Amino acid sequence: MSLSHEQQTELTRIAVTAGQILHQHGAESRLVEQTTQRIGVALGAQSIELSVSSDAIVITSLFKGNCVTTTRRCYDRGINMQMVCDVLRICIMLEKSLLEADQVKERLTRLKPYKYNRWLVVFMIGLSCSSFSHFFGGDLAVYITTFFASSGAMILRQELAHRHHNPFVNFALAAFVATTIASIGVIYEFGENPQIAMAASVLLLVPGFPLINAVSDMLKGHISTGIARWVFATLLSISVAIGIVASMSLTNVSGWL
Amino acid sequence: MELIALIIIDAMFAAVPAVGFAMVFNVPKKMLIYCAVGGAFAHSLRFLLMDFGLHIEWATLIASSSMGFLGLYWSRKRLIPRPVFTVASVIPMIPGSFAFTTMIGLVELNTAGYSVELMQIITENGLKTLFILGALSFGLALPSILIYRGRPIV
Repeated sequence: MSLSHEQQTELTRIAVTAGQILHQHGAESRLVEQTTQRIGVALGAQSIELSVSSDAIVITSLFKGNCVTTTRRCYDRGINMQMVCDVLRICIMLEKSLLEADQVKERLTRLKPYKYNRWLVVFMIGLSCSSFSHFFGGDLAVYITTFFASSGAMILRQELAHRHHNPFVNFALAAFVATTIASIGVIYEFGENPQIAMAASVLLLVPGFPLINAVSDMLKGHISTGIARWVFATLLSISVAIGIVASMSLTNVSGWL
Repeated sequence: MELIALIIIDAMFAAVPAVGFAMVFNVPKKMLIYCAVGGAFAHSLRFLLMDFGLHIEWATLIASSSMGFLGLYWSRKRLIPRPVFTVASVIPMIPGSFAFTTMIGLVELNTAGYSVELMQIITENGLKTLFILGALSFGLALPSILIYRGRPIV
């Protein structure tokens, strides 16, 4: 098999697009690295070398002593597992030679992130946080308070994320809203132990995916990306804490500590 | 008998957040049922193990590594990358409350000044957060660390 310089450039571009999509939609570094390499090798490169950092990927394809290098900046587009599944499916189809290079390119550019109906997500997140309140030992009244508090916070979070506000500001404001609504329950004494609602209603703001990705990146040898994700998740939790403290000092209700 | 009823209730309440957060991560529709089953399985296993007197960190490690292997089976079967099911399934076990207590404690430590009780809350909750989180991610990564060792799973 032989590749012209143009073909090798094209191959590198296809592989870097796949890696960029994976990185932007929250795949862990090992998955980004492996999938990009597999696509490049399946398209005919001898090897693909890439460096994944927290906000960019650099990739070099090698073919008979000829190197093509390209860099892509990866802005965070929010976690979207459906995109990750689709890119991996394209990779598997390419490896089984069901697709040609130009088909792969066309499919990758055609991918569109699927989003669930936002009100359905608000409803489910409300139920989720209420289920957490059950784990903390809350009764039915606390369950209902938590549902409204966390749904209110989720609506605000989606609205601010839709307008591309800074995630730290977004999380602090959402935590403020959730705690304020839940503290109404404490003031009017809904249920046996209304403080539980304050603890449970902010759990929709736990950066679970970044934290798990951070530790698994570090375990699998991508220490620097792991540290970057860890710091991001820690800063998000600090901004949530500041939102909670601001609300508690305004309403003079203490549910934590 | 009472234990079985408690476990079933626990599993049902754990399936809801697993699906809810899977929808925030935009997991494809067909995979949501796997997230629900996984979340219910992992959390109720941890509940059972903690009922037997195991510490929360070790119970989490066992539950999340079983979830890792279950995810490995599903991922080979459906040709879907593993994090799609596994991360949403362990979301009910994430130590969110411990993490926020630590952070709020730190903010309070600044405003109210140093006190031994506050420092005790911060240290205990912070360490719990770190160890539970480490157990969770390590358990999920176990199949690829022990069996696959660098080779792709799907």
